[in-house]
Amino acid sequence: MDNVLEVRDIHTFIGQFHILEGVSLEVPDGCITAVLGRNGAGKTTTLKSVLGLTPPREGSIAFNGEEIQGQPAHQIASKGIGYVPEHRAIFRDLSVEENLKIAERKKGDLARRADFIFGVFPDLKRLIKLPGGNLSGGQQQMLAIARALVPDNRLLLIDEPSEGLAPVIIEQVMEAVRQLSAHATVLLVEQNFIMASQLADRYTIIEAGRSVKSGMMADLVDDQETIRRYLGAA
Amino acid sequence: MAHIWRRHRVLLLTLVVVLVVIIIITRGMEPRVWASILLSGVTLAALYFLLASGLSLIFGLMDVLNFAQGAIFVVGAYVGLSMFANPRLFFNTLPFFLAVAAGAVLAERYGVYLWRRIHTKRGRRIVWWVLLALAAGILALAVRNFPIRALNAFNVTAVGGTVPTAEAQEPLGVMFRRMAILFVGGLPFGMMLAPKERHEERPRRPAWQTISIVVALLAVGCLFLVGRNVGEQFVLGLSVDMRFLLALIAGTLAGALVGVAIETVLIRPFYGNPVTQLVLTLGLSIVMIDLVELIWGEEGNPPMQPPSFFSEACRSDSVFAWFSEHCRSVDVLGRAFPTYRLFIIAVGVLVFVAVGLLLQRSRIGMIIRAGVQDSEMVQALGINVRRVFTFVFALGSALAALGGVIIAPFLGVYPAMGGIFQLQAFIAVVIGGMGSFAGAAVGTLILGLARAFGDHFVAAGIDVPFLETVIKGSPAIAQASSVLIMAIVLLVRPAGIFGKKE
Repeated sequence: MDNVLEVRDIHTFIGQFHILEGVSLEVPDGCITAVLGRNGAGKTTTLKSVLGLTPPREGSIAFNGEEIQGQPAHQIASKGIGYVPEHRAIFRDLSVEENLKIAERKKGDLARRADFIFGVFPDLKRLIKLPGGNLSGGQQQMLAIARALVPDNRLLLIDEPSEGLAPVIIEQVMEAVRQLSAHATVLLVEQNFIMASQLADRYTIIEAGRSVKSGMMADLVDDQETIRRYLGAA
Repeated sequence: MAHIWRRHRVLLLTLVVVLVVIIIITRGMEPRVWASILLSGVTLAALYFLLASGLSLIFGLMDVLNFAQGAIFVVGAYVGLSMFANPRLFFNTLPFFLAVAAGAVLAERYGVYLWRRIHTKRGRRIVWWVLLALAAGILALAVRNFPIRALNAFNVTAVGGTVPTAEAQEPLGVMFRRMAILFVGGLPFGMMLAPKERHEERPRRPAWQTISIVVALLAVGCLFLVGRNVGEQFVLGLSVDMRFLLALIAGTLAGALVGVAIETVLIRPFYGNPVTQLVLTLGLSIVMIDLVELIWGEEGNPPMQPPSFFSEACRSDSVFAWFSEHCRSVDVLGRAFPTYRLFIIAVGVLVFVAVGLLLQRSRIGMIIRAGVQDSEMVQALGINVRRVFTFVFALGSALAALGGVIIAPFLGVYPAMGGIFQLQAFIAVVIGGMGSFAGAAVGTLILGLARAFGDHFVAAGIDVPFLETVIKGSPAIAQASSVLIMAIVLLVRPAGIFGKKE
């Protein structure tokens, strides 16, 4: 099994703050890998470092076997990485259709993927002309994920998809992530351990800017000691 | 109905107050006075808008308050004027800028090799200052004793007259030598712009691209020099209308190029650092105005000759008659109104529609609208947002420069006009809501009308009901009207009319 993404000992600074002090992780092809850890541990910064939004100062990142660290974010993304940021970050003033259209890397991407996208998110088809800002939180989350599906992405970075959503909606989002994981590899950041444990095949725990443990999710679920130590209650 | 009232009651109340004020002001005013004030106001608004739209787009997308917008407006005006009235100045100075640019492009590409050899931070800082001194010294040497005043003197004599002889032009040999020195002077300048630290290094342009850009810049410069006499005769031989068109193109293009240069050299290294960018553009605007005074002189130029479409010495009865008669003024409800101002209004409306369509219908417009909200996310989608930044900066600068050219036949051209119009444009953008294109349009319209009504108020006074007296304002009131309006709008809506709350 090949690794789509290999992160080796990256150090990232934001301003003068040393946020990541050595994060390594592997994302095998076709799996959902969850990044776990407490608030402020550096999970979001890890995703942003992979994408080059907060470029790491040291360490290496390989995507599909190619070293990508140091390249500008738009170039890294164009290699086939989709990003679903926390707080969703859909474009409020653009219509749902424009929100999808802007993600096209080749003309006709949206048309080609429309069946798949609207199959996973039937609601979006109904809302297509509405401004993104008029959507509910759950619908915005669906749109943010759908947007990452428009171009041919091999890897999806999904940050806290359950944040601020009602339990019923979380179920829907989980189902969507499960469906799309058949088409792309997923690196998932999730606070909600129950959701993460049900979705992910593998995990990496980040504690205070360092990756401290990784392995199969099935093993972690029974490892109460590790869960208590790094993830607080559960 | 009820919930609309609840949500917007402050806005609605303000609208009512504004309406009452307008009714009081216009009470007893004759329609023809009314109409001409309205048209004057819209003319001013169109001019303000050409500056404000760029300011608003640039601020919305990049969080940059571009204080150089007024200076670009002035540069546009002067470049247009030169193209129109004194192409000799144009042909004799443009190659200089191209030569510096060529040197800078070349050195920027290969400067990395210099910086890689210097290993300490201190060393790099010293080299940077040495390069700056070197660049300034060589540039000063290159333009020493250049007969700029004599070239400039043609401005007046050449208007519409016969083609002057080649006097005041330096011989080609001297000009080529100056160009060569300027090219060398561009080299240290380009090195200063090259990435200095390892982690700042970015993928570089392929060598053949760099070489072709440099060769193209130099070739165009040389072509201008060699063909300067032919070119001058050609331009001066053209009709007024064609020269005006040329002036529009040259001025607008110059604005776009200046915009690209400012964005890549001064703004780009400092994204995320708005105070530095603001101070840099402010400083640059002062330098640019000084440069303009150096090249074109401090004294202003009288209004340029308008195109023939607006210059027949007659007065048309209606706009339709004007289309065939091409009169200087047209009858609006019994009052003469200069037709050139109608042209200004038309340009303003055209730009509003064109940029609006660009924003709403095109892919780049979609990217701009998305970037106004979250440019990082746009980048994360795989879009090179920096290139869009440069485009928007160029567009905003081009519009300001276009404003400068079309104002020339209306108010003339003088170095201080940039500051005046920029201030109004800034206030308009604040009123309309920073970053909102529609807001810029509404803001400029309010300011233009307020100014026109204010001027009328000063000249003729207002008949106040119940007081039975005519109150006249002082000129200061008309000038302060825009600031007063801004204060009122901000009290009611702190983010401006179309502004979004943070």
